Amino acid sequence: MTQGIVPPYLLTRIAELEAPEFRDAATAAKQTLILDRPRRAARLSFTLDAEQNLVAELSAAPNRTIGNAKNTETLPGAEVRAEGQAAGKDVAVDEAYDGLGATFALYSEVYGRDSIDGKGLPLDGTVHYGKLYDNAFWNGGRMVFGDGDEQVFGRFTASYTVIGHELTHGVTQYTAGLVYRDQPGALNESISDVFGSLVEQYAKKQTAATATWLIGEGLFTKKVKGVALRSMKAPGTAYDDPRLGKDPQPADFAHYVHTTDDEGGVHLNSGIPNRAFYLVAHQLGGHAWERAGRIWYDTLLSGLTPKTDFAGFAAATVAAAAKRYGGSSAEVAAARAGWSGVGVTTNGAATGD
Amino acid sequence: MAQRQATEPSPAAAAIRILVVRSGGFAGIPQQWHVESRDDVDDWTTLVTACPWDQVGTDPASRDRFIWRIEARMPRTTRTAQVPDALLVGPWRALVDRVQDAGSHG
Repeated sequence: MTQGIVPPYLLTRIAELEAPEFRDAATAAKQTLILDRPRRAARLSFTLDAEQNLVAELSAAPNRTIGNAKNTETLPGAEVRAEGQAAGKDVAVDEAYDGLGATFALYSEVYGRDSIDGKGLPLDGTVHYGKLYDNAFWNGGRMVFGDGDEQVFGRFTASYTVIGHELTHGVTQYTAGLVYRDQPGALNESISDVFGSLVEQYAKKQTAATATWLIGEGLFTKKVKGVALRSMKAPGTAYDDPRLGKDPQPADFAHYVHTTDDEGGVHLNSGIPNRAFYLVAHQLGGHAWERAGRIWYDTLLSGLTPKTDFAGFAAATVAAAAKRYGGSSAEVAAARAGWSGVGVTTNGAATGD
Repeated sequence: MAQRQATEPSPAAAAIRILVVRSGGFAGIPQQWHVESRDDVDDWTTLVTACPWDQVGTDPASRDRFIWRIEARMPRTTRTAQVPDALLVGPWRALVDRVQDAGSHG
């Protein structure tokens, strides 16, 4: 099988093919061209069927563009790598490009989702944002990465978990639309950590047992005593550094952090649903993206309201597991056990706090 | 129930006191700076009053961006604002830059 990225001019040619054996490909190409006015890529596969006929198939493919802000805070920056262009000498550019591809692959190949919006939205990223800028963020339309301050943080493109995290903010924006404050905000953060971790696990073909369950591994410089920014398996243990202090994430609902900073501690309290996901994946075993990830993805699309809280989300995961795997399935039992393990009931009512 | 608040500087008899707390960000690790001064009250007052304290604005679309909590205790008044990173420009940026340069960190 040959695979390639199809540029728009070739899509146009395929759409014009009239030979019967190319009918399906022509139809797919026409739809691809109609669906999206912006330039758009698709993956073209050639195979031979049982009668040795050539079969051409089009499937979803990412359309990535990376900009370079050149250490300013101006977006999108100068375009430095477009879809299909070869890697260059700028590590941050190529890490961002590869991470966008790995994220697209998880959503497309595992969950059948065509990009962030499910409709092939182009994936845009900007690197080298700001001076000594120690952050990565999603601005509602693109991912933006700083180079780090070189004292605490290095490049924010260094981990697939960060890139998957940022793009998943886009997926949540187009689906559940969880508000970014308090419990719904912590769920929004956790969903980004869950799928950010799954992007890495899928790319490395890790199991729940072999995955690190770390978010942002490799972002800290060697001067920091810590392995990552967060641990989904053991929230509160990712770092313990004289300058930064100790990882403040709670691992269960009894230790939910009440604060006015950070939108109500969305980056702290995400530790609670993060660990619930880990417990579900651990109990089910195997590849976490297959069953645990599927339950979470189904939940994201299940019609959550923007102000869904932990208990509401937990109940929705059990409902999603029951719908897909059956009410008395191992998946439902695992979902219940996972939330119980962090002190959140799955009957819609919160405990603790 | 756990409580987590950024540590406030100890009260002092300073004429002005400005606290800047940066929270949020992908890492969620807060940073803070503060300055206390009796000497440059006019300069600081100019910087503080240049900021649009009552018209900060919001940035509802962004995720993982920093949020800047700025508290300015002046001789006659105390002002407080939560400024999204995307809006930390112009007079806000000038004030924060000055606090970061002149004040103590941590």
